[in-house]
Amino acid sequence: MASDTILETKDLTKRLGGKKVVDGVNLAIGRGDIYGFLGPNGAGKTTTIRMLLGLAKPTDGSIRVFGKDIRKERIAILRKVGSLVEYPSYYGHLTAVENLEAIRRLLGVPKARIDEVLSIVRLTKDANRAVKGFSLGMKQRLGIATALLGDPELLVLDEPTNGLDPAGIQEIRELIKSLPGKSGVTILISSHLLSEVEQMATRVGIISKGKLIYEDSIQRLRDQAKGRIRLSVSEPEAAWRTLLSHGHSVGWENGVLTASQTDNRTVAGIVAQLVKADYEVYRVEEESASLESIFLEMTGTEGSL
Amino acid sequence: MLLRILSAEFLKIRRKWLWVLVVAGPLGVVALQGVNFGLRYDYLVRGKQPGEVWDALIGDVSMLAMPALLMGLAIVASMSAGIEHQMNAWKLTLALPVSKRQVFAGKFVLTALLLLVSSALLVPLSAAFGLTLGLGGGSIPWSDLLTDAFYPYLASMPFIALQAWLSVTMANQAVPLTVGIIGMIVSLFAGARFPDWVPYKWPQLAVSANDPLYAVAAGVAFGIVVFAVGLTEFVRKDVK
Repeated sequence: MASDTILETKDLTKRLGGKKVVDGVNLAIGRGDIYGFLGPNGAGKTTTIRMLLGLAKPTDGSIRVFGKDIRKERIAILRKVGSLVEYPSYYGHLTAVENLEAIRRLLGVPKARIDEVLSIVRLTKDANRAVKGFSLGMKQRLGIATALLGDPELLVLDEPTNGLDPAGIQEIRELIKSLPGKSGVTILISSHLLSEVEQMATRVGIISKGKLIYEDSIQRLRDQAKGRIRLSVSEPEAAWRTLLSHGHSVGWENGVLTASQTDNRTVAGIVAQLVKADYEVYRVEEESASLESIFLEMTGTEGSL
Repeated sequence: MLLRILSAEFLKIRRKWLWVLVVAGPLGVVALQGVNFGLRYDYLVRGKQPGEVWDALIGDVSMLAMPALLMGLAIVASMSAGIEHQMNAWKLTLALPVSKRQVFAGKFVLTALLLLVSSALLVPLSAAFGLTLGLGGGSIPWSDLLTDAFYPYLASMPFIALQAWLSVTMANQAVPLTVGIIGMIVSLFAGARFPDWVPYKWPQLAVSANDPLYAVAAGVAFGIVVFAVGLTEFVRKDVK
C-alpha cells in the first residue's frame, strides 16, 4: 500500500485559538480510492481539508501528497489536485464559461477543457449565463467543473452536497460516481452524512472532535451494521426464559425480545418455540442497524450528557 | 505566471463598472474644470497669453485630480479585492497552483495599472480641454501635462500599496474605504501643516516642490516597502 498511497498525513494538528481543532490525524488515501471523510459539523473536516490544500498551515505534523511535502512543493502538488471547498466559490457577475476561463488562465490548460468539463457536469446549455442566476445545485456543479479543469489526479470535494435538495444530491452523487471510471481519479469527499458517501466510497475515515476515530474500508463498517430481529410477544419475560432454557440466545429489553442472529433458521426456530409454548407472537420485525446509527454511536456518545 | 494572473484579473473585472470608474475619474476632473473655466472665462482666459492659461489649467486640473486619485485608488483597490471577497473566492484561487505572493502582487498590479490608465487619461483630456478653450495646438506644454499626470501617481504609490493590502486582507471593505477617505482628507489639508516627510504630502510635492523628483522617488520607494509588508502578511496568513 505504501507505494500507492497518494495522500498521507502524520499527526496532523491544527490549533485555533488554543483549541485543537484537528488533533493528531493520520490519513492514508490510496490511488483510485473514493475516500469518504466523515464527521459531524465542527469535527475538523474542513480545517483538515484546508491544510491538505495548503490554504491553512498545520500547527504540527506533516502532509505528503504524491510523496511530496506540501510545505515545500505546494504548487507542484496543487497542479495535480482539483478542489471544491465548502460552499461554492464563483464570480457571480461572470458567466459559467468566463468563470472557468479565469481559472483556466491560471492553470494554463487548453481552452478545449472548458467545454469538456462543462459537458461532464452538464452545464453546456447554461454556459453563457451569469452564474449569480444559477441554482445552488448548478453552482455546485460549476464548482466541480472548476475542480476538474486541470485534469487532476486527486479530487478533493468538501461537502459537495451541502444544502442541496434531494434531486440535487442525487445528481451530484451520480456525477461523482461516474468520475473515477472515466479518468481514474482519486477522490476525497467529505460529508456529515454517512448515507451520502455510503454508496460511492470505497474507504471511510471518521473524524470527531478533531480526532480520526475510524479509518477502514466501507465493507468493514457495513459488517458492523448487521441488523437484529425484534419480537414482541405476550409475557415477554417468561417467554425470554423459555427461549433461553431451550438454548436460543436472545436478549430482553423494554419488554421486547431481541435476537442478534438473523438467519432464517434461527428466527424460525425461535418463533416455533414461542408458538409451541403457547405465547402469542404479535410482531416479528427486523431492525437493521444502519451505518448511520453506527456513525452516530461513534461520533456522538462522547459528547452526550 | 504574473502575466497569467493579470490576464485572469482583467477577465474578472468585466461588467464590474471598474473601467467606467477609471474613465469617469479623470473625465469628471476635467469636466469640473470645464465648468470652472466656462463660468470664469473672462477672468481666466480672455486676453491672456496661451502659456498663462495652460499653466492655470494644468494647475487647476491637478489640484482636483489629486483628491480624486487618492479617493479613486481606495475605491479601485476595494472593488478589485471585493470580487474575491464577495463569494469568498480566495480559497478557490489559492487552492490553485499559483503562489500566494503572485496572487497578492496581481491584485496590487491590477489596481496600480487601472490608476495608471486614469492618470494617463488626464493628459489627452486636459489637452483637448485646452484646445476647446481656443488655445493653439502648437502651444500645448506636453512635458508639464505629463509630469502633472504621472508624478502625483508615482508619489501615491504607498497609498496604492496600502489600500491594496487592506482591501485584500480584510473581508469588510468598510475599514479600507474609511482609511482611504481619511487619507484623502488628510492629504487635502497636508499643505503647510505637515513637514515634507509625511507621505500624505508627497502627491502635492510631486507637482509643487522645486525638485518634485524627491517626492516621486520617496513615493516609489516607500510604496515598495508597504507592498513588501503587505505581501509578507498575506503570505503568512491562513486563507479564510
